[in-house]
Amino acid sequence: MKPLFLLLTLSFFTLVFTSCEVKKQPIAYGQANCAHCQMTVSDKRYGAELVLKTGKALFFDSAECLIQYLEEKPEEKDKTQMFLVTNFNKPEDLLDADKAIFLQSKNLPSPMGMFLTAFENRAAATEMHKQQGGRILTWNEAVQAVKNNEKPQ
Amino acid sequence: MIINRYFRPLKQTAMNSLKLLKQLYPLPLTSVNGTLFPLFFLAFFTTKSAQAAELKVCKTCDFKTVTSAVKAAKPHDRILVQPGYYAESNIEIKKPLQLIGVGKPVIDAKNKGGIFQVETRNVLIKGFELRNVEVSYLRDFAAIKVYEGAHVTISDNLIKNAFFGIYLQRTDSCTVARNVVEGQARTETTSGNAIHLWYSDFITITDNKTSGHRDGIYLEFAKRSTIKDNLSFGNIRYGLHFMFSDGNVYTHNTFRNNGAGVAVMYTRDIVMQHNTFEHNWGPAAYGLLLKDISRSTISNNRFIKNTAGIYMEGSTYLHIEKNTFQGNGWALRVISSCSEDTFRLNNFMSNTFDVSTNASSASNYFSHNYWDKYEGYDLNKDRIGDVPYRPVSLYSLVVERVPSSIMFLRSFIVDLMDRMEKVIPSFTPEMLKDDSPVLRQHAYDHA
Repeated sequence: MKPLFLLLTLSFFTLVFTSCEVKKQPIAYGQANCAHCQMTVSDKRYGAELVLKTGKALFFDSAECLIQYLEEKPEEKDKTQMFLVTNFNKPEDLLDADKAIFLQSKNLPSPMGMFLTAFENRAAATEMHKQQGGRILTWNEAVQAVKNNEKPQ
Repeated sequence: MIINRYFRPLKQTAMNSLKLLKQLYPLPLTSVNGTLFPLFFLAFFTTKSAQAAELKVCKTCDFKTVTSAVKAAKPHDRILVQPGYYAESNIEIKKPLQLIGVGKPVIDAKNKGGIFQVETRNVLIKGFELRNVEVSYLRDFAAIKVYEGAHVTISDNLIKNAFFGIYLQRTDSCTVARNVVEGQARTETTSGNAIHLWYSDFITITDNKTSGHRDGIYLEFAKRSTIKDNLSFGNIRYGLHFMFSDGNVYTHNTFRNNGAGVAVMYTRDIVMQHNTFEHNWGPAAYGLLLKDISRSTISNNRFIKNTAGIYMEGSTYLHIEKNTFQGNGWALRVISSCSEDTFRLNNFMSNTFDVSTNASSASNYFSHNYWDKYEGYDLNKDRIGDVPYRPVSLYSLVVERVPSSIMFLRSFIVDLMDRMEKVIPSFTPEMLKDDSPVLRQHAYDHA
């Protein structure tokens, strides 16, 4: 009887802890709605995500939506543990937003009209920059670009 | 003298242009003002009609492929493609041409790139069946792509299994009419849009049928366009999707059974009339999703059996009138950031919730609507209820806060709660009410 009880409590606790663990969650493309613009998140190359300290994940269809969401609700920044954007070259691979390098090119339209594409590192961004043109931005510069609504012409 | 000095240069330029004309049009031109003009026109028309030829494409014709005919054709020629099967792709059209399919010839790209790429003005593409356009993550391949063109007409085509169907990029004054675009999309990421507009103005989209794509009709940065009499059904995401596209009109369209209905976002000055939004079911589905739109008119539409008839957020200065909302989960979901919206003369019938909101106060205006849930009276017989109708029930507020409480729907406790609230309103927004609810349903012919 005792081991069974132990097993049950153990499994209960693991359940409780795993459900609250703060970690990256895969974006359910085609099902999740963007927390900012309400659109169905659909383009695998552009999804973004916030993981709150409670473990809850908010999904966005693009980096610009995530940036605008935090602009509108600055209080959410303190509640957030992880800021994630998708690696363009490896969809479903979520990168830390502040370490990602962005390319803003008129040849790569992102879902919400800011032409922001995220890459793992500067080398990958430069590679794409050679093909598509535009300008390379850090996370902070990308945030500024969205704030000022700077689009490539 | 002075006059001569000033006018001589002018005279010289006139003579120069005359010389140029003579080179261009080897017809007797006289410098006499009276005859120059008509002759010029004559020259213009004769040269044009002399150039226009008809080129036939078929297995036994001079031209075996559409590509070769397009290459050989001179501007303004007409290419008649005879019935048959042509395995061709990436046909570039860089001069004004008329391409006409006689008896629906089939052009199959065999999943290698797109089919027609138009980069000029005055092109007609009519009567083809276009198949199997490549799916790509990096390039938007389309059955018909118009890039920086104008006055291009795309009509009466059947497009099957394409990544993008018809794609207009940086164009103006184009017509897309009577096309059928059928996709086989299973996931959103592997399918493009049936009709896609990007930075395109003054486009007319009429009588098309779109299905099985990501979005049926998609407009981004597209202005002053007309979308009329289209049917958009069974698309994975939206039947119609607008973003940053001001001043468009869409009327008499039907949007049925799409993944999430129709979305109109980040725009202003839109006219939406006589459309039908029906059977858009799902946890994130709407008949019509309005996000950050303003100064628009939504009238004479039918919203039938949707999870939410209209879901609106950040939308201001809208006129929503003479619409019928029937059998929806929510007829209207008005999120707090909406203001200065007017809801007049609408019919609300057999919806689970008429209006729900998460706001305690809202400056939206309701009047002269018909509400089938209205239980008031009309003592002065003016066909307008004497007591106001409050379309927001307490329970809908609870559901808005705690979505899982929907499982108490139609339970006794919910009924009791709503009754109490009706008698003594204390939680529902005080301002959100219809002071003049109409007792009889408005008779509208929406068609």
